[in-house]
Amino acid sequence: MESLHALFSLGFATALTPSNLMWALVGCTLGTAIGVLPGVGPAVTVALLLPVTHSIEPTGALIMLAGVYYGAMFGGSTTSILLNTPGEAGSIVSALEGNKMARRGRAGPALSTAAIGSFIAGSIATVLLTLLAPLAASMALKLGPVENFSLMVLTFAAVSAVLGNSPSKGMTALFFGLALGLIGIEEQSGQARFTFGQLPLIDGIDIVVVAMGLFAIGETLYTATYENNSQTRLETVKGSVWMSKSDWQRSWKPWLRGTAIGFPFGTIPAGGTEMPTFLSYSVEKKLAKGQRGQEFGHGAIEGVAGPEAANNAAVTGTLVPLLTLGIPTSATAAIMLSAFQQYNIVPGPLLFDSYPELVWGLIASLYIGNVMLLVLNLPLVGLWVQLLKIPRPLLYGGIVVLATMGAYALRQSWFDLLLLYLIGLVGFAMRRFDFPVVPLIVGLIVGPMAEKQFRRAMAINEGDASVFFTQPVSLAILCVTAAIILIPPLLRRRQALLAN
Amino acid sequence: MIRRVNGEQWLAVAVIVLGLIMAWQITAIPADAGYAGIGPRFFPTLIVTGLVMCGGILLLQSSKPPAAPSTEEENEGPRADADWSQFVLLSGSLLAHMALIGLIGFTLAGTMLCFGVCRALASTRPWRDALLSFLLVFGLFHLFAWLGLNLPALIPGVL
Repeated sequence: MESLHALFSLGFATALTPSNLMWALVGCTLGTAIGVLPGVGPAVTVALLLPVTHSIEPTGALIMLAGVYYGAMFGGSTTSILLNTPGEAGSIVSALEGNKMARRGRAGPALSTAAIGSFIAGSIATVLLTLLAPLAASMALKLGPVENFSLMVLTFAAVSAVLGNSPSKGMTALFFGLALGLIGIEEQSGQARFTFGQLPLIDGIDIVVVAMGLFAIGETLYTATYENNSQTRLETVKGSVWMSKSDWQRSWKPWLRGTAIGFPFGTIPAGGTEMPTFLSYSVEKKLAKGQRGQEFGHGAIEGVAGPEAANNAAVTGTLVPLLTLGIPTSATAAIMLSAFQQYNIVPGPLLFDSYPELVWGLIASLYIGNVMLLVLNLPLVGLWVQLLKIPRPLLYGGIVVLATMGAYALRQSWFDLLLLYLIGLVGFAMRRFDFPVVPLIVGLIVGPMAEKQFRRAMAINEGDASVFFTQPVSLAILCVTAAIILIPPLLRRRQALLAN
Repeated sequence: MIRRVNGEQWLAVAVIVLGLIMAWQITAIPADAGYAGIGPRFFPTLIVTGLVMCGGILLLQSSKPPAAPSTEEENEGPRADADWSQFVLLSGSLLAHMALIGLIGFTLAGTMLCFGVCRALASTRPWRDALLSFLLVFGLFHLFAWLGLNLPALIPGVL
């Protein structure tokens, strides 16, 4: 109840001021506009728009970025459905059935079920966030550096070993991210590490440069080198965008099931939207009987409704660990964390006490943003479809210019542009050889935090490393970590043996 | 029999080399033991070890003959041949932009970069690209100047 009181007395009072409402609207609109562009996911949208927020006060800036984050998700669904080019892992499944629906002339209902499902899932998940976040924060306050370090190890294992096809590639990406995170001044000893005598490296490598390099520059290099001849087909929205009675009947249960699957996945540090969306898709496929079951693979509305809801619920879920523990579990959450850091605000259990207006204002703006996005995305979908008609070369040109501007604006230095290009080369190689990017981003941003917690834990316990295994909570977390690393390969081996 | 080194093996070797360079750099970090014997060298040592091990595992995996192709991965179809001239064109545009932004300002350097990207992405309408690139970057320059972001200019406040 206390949280509801805080939400209404502090949150909505902050979010409903004219200036903050305007920032939410600007964020939702820009997020949708950029998120709708093919190949641009929420992570890169937030990174591209970070420089815009430099001159805004923190609450307005974070409200705007949250709008961008949500807007990019909504916009991404439109692109997956109409163009079959999902901008991020979470929309791959929507593209499966949604694009098939569009090809059969049912683009309108596909877009509707995606938008309404995202709205419903986003709203329910925000209610859950409102109720759970203060509880999680008060529990997190009891965690010391030992437990926090173990939680971070769990996050590392989950994002690298579980996501993607190959654990070894995930681990390589993670260690590369951790290595990048080491560059610069080490906080406790004040020693410069891995700066190779270069003064600009003393501040470390900014996550904005890394995100833009990997996503924008790497992607453009890849497209120029390998995909110049590939053709995409833009489906048109014919007839009404609204759903028929039978569409509603077929969609409402998948929306709720998708929400129930997505939110828990978002809150645990096994982050990402890939797993819950695939899970929701397979649940809907299993539950569909008769003719509806046969429609799967040819444009079943349940296959769009469920995963879209799961995607949005998971994204809202990632805000729980981000706001209460300060641990980002997805690439976008990592960039949001750096937005907080830009204002010297450290998300974590103390955030609710030290910046109540900011955090409740942010949560209240999620409710408002969801409504704005529903309006922006359903009646106005035709407007966003126009953006998909921009010729691809100009589109990438614009993205690359925005990326270079974001990197240059950090310090007005050509050195950041060089770093941007070098990281772009890494992104190109990772894309070419199917390396997952999320572990790299999470490693870069959580790595330095993990080192700090580890050193604190060791200092408190006089250098006794066994403390990580003797404190019960930490031991439990490490056991879960071991399980998620060891169980999938064992299961695969068992399956292979059974198959033989 | 001489086996061709594939791209994935080169990448694994690059990861190992990077790890070794970092290992060499660890020796440049002053080794005063911090609290509880954990100094600024400890974490880097851990991470560099992990990086080199990952590189080794990748090398081993990429040297193995491919197992039976999984059906899921085959859906994407064969990858088109690489067009390295476009890669070079795009890289050149990015590096030229880096070198020129301080000299000719954001608008002109950005226009050139945007035009370069269009060429690298095989656009067939150079005049349209040049005009739209200029209009886009010019618009961005003034938008961000209005938002208070200081970008380099050839003629301050204009271009």
